Amino acid sequence: MTDRSLPVDVAFWILAAASVVSAWRVFRADSMVRAAYWLLASFVGVGMILVLLSAEFLGLVLLLMMAGEMTIMAVFMVMFMMNPAGLNPMTMVHQHRMAVTAGVGAFLGLAAVGLLAEFPIRPVTASEPTAELGVELLGDSMVVFQTAGVALLATMIGAVAIASRRGRFGDAQEGSEPPGGEQ
Amino acid sequence: MKVTYTSWWAAPLVLGAVFGAGVYAVAVLDTVVRTTVSGGRLGSGVLVLPIRRAALLLLQERTVTERPDARAWALAPAMLLGLAAAGIVVVPLDAGLAVADVSAGIVLFGAAMALVMVAVFLHGWSANSALPLVGGYRFVAQALSYEMPLALVLIAVALPAESLGVGDIVSSQEGLWNVVRQPLGLPLYLVAAMGLAFWGPLALPDGADLAGGTSAEASGAHLLVWRVARASVLVTVSAMGAACFLGGWQGPWLPGWAWTSIKTLALLVVLVSAGHLLPRIRPERFVVVAWAVLIPLALVDVFTGGILAL
Repeated sequence: MTDRSLPVDVAFWILAAASVVSAWRVFRADSMVRAAYWLLASFVGVGMILVLLSAEFLGLVLLLMMAGEMTIMAVFMVMFMMNPAGLNPMTMVHQHRMAVTAGVGAFLGLAAVGLLAEFPIRPVTASEPTAELGVELLGDSMVVFQTAGVALLATMIGAVAIASRRGRFGDAQEGSEPPGGEQ
Repeated sequence: MKVTYTSWWAAPLVLGAVFGAGVYAVAVLDTVVRTTVSGGRLGSGVLVLPIRRAALLLLQERTVTERPDARAWALAPAMLLGLAAAGIVVVPLDAGLAVADVSAGIVLFGAAMALVMVAVFLHGWSANSALPLVGGYRFVAQALSYEMPLALVLIAVALPAESLGVGDIVSSQEGLWNVVRQPLGLPLYLVAAMGLAFWGPLALPDGADLAGGTSAEASGAHLLVWRVARASVLVTVSAMGAACFLGGWQGPWLPGWAWTSIKTLALLVVLVSAGHLLPRIRPERFVVVAWAVLIPLALVDVFTGGILAL
């Protein structure tokens, strides 16, 4: 790296530390909303590190997607857990032995890759890194991916249209009975 | 395009001046429009009234709720204000003059505006109170509905510019502004902008029917910062609207920064007036309209942008 400067280094270490700490807080939080937003904070750190790597588009899109996704996740978890506010304290961890084993294994594996692998040093040269990144990721398959994306979108809209309560096949709850207890 | 970066100490000054003037303009406009619409008479106090109200809030006691998430409660207004600032830094004041001309500027704006959902939800959730919580959930539903049209109309203006930089988007409107080239863009953007700043007909999360919604439990300096942040979001979306659809700094006779200010102010007048002229819409109605009408229209707008780009 030719133009690596001190502010960039300082920013990297601060963001990296913030990401790790907030990722750890995810598992110490006692509420689903807090856990979701600590995870979002961790992602913000990672996104900013991507921006430092001149991958502005990727870093910012990560924030753009995660803001909505973490909120949706929090709301869904609150709904499934029937904890109306999500403010009530509850244990957020389970299967301790399994989780610890998987966590330590993943950390050791990734740390080994980080320390042992030879990373290529290729500073970004393009004036439009976004365009170069798109070509790099998809290359000639751009049209294929775009077509698949539109097809998936159409499928999702179709599924929602069929499943919705006011869909074209009438009331979705017609003929269904409320769950009853045994007589 | 060559862009001169303002120096690091100038950025907070420029931001402070823009938001100070913008928020004050919103407060004055709000009073002027409300008085005019209701047939009242504008007194000389209209210019002092916002300052008086702010001073009153500063002196007011800050109330606390029972067992709130105090950190999130304190974070939410500051986060909303910070996101408004992050969104406006990419808007060019004049040709080649922006606080930060990021190459993916429009994406930075989109990311900041997406995180607004987190700030407002946290504000409603963290008070540990029923009505603010309803307001927070309302905003999530509202945000998920306007987010898609907003993203699509912004993609549509970036397509003919062949760039994600806001400066390039303004330059691409040389000759014909996007408001004419893409007639669907600005109206859709304004609806999304109103949803983003939860303003006027879309003031649902902080609505009067929820006794103030997410800010029902707020008072004093907290409420002042929350309102200033909300007005700042309104200023940010107006400035971005002026850059993306009204040709930004372009215009005859006057210097570029003057045109940017005039166009931003014009959009602020439209948004504030709409807040007093249009009735509040019901949340479920807005969600249906957004998904069934606004998103298809926004898709048509993207196709318009694509044709222009070809």
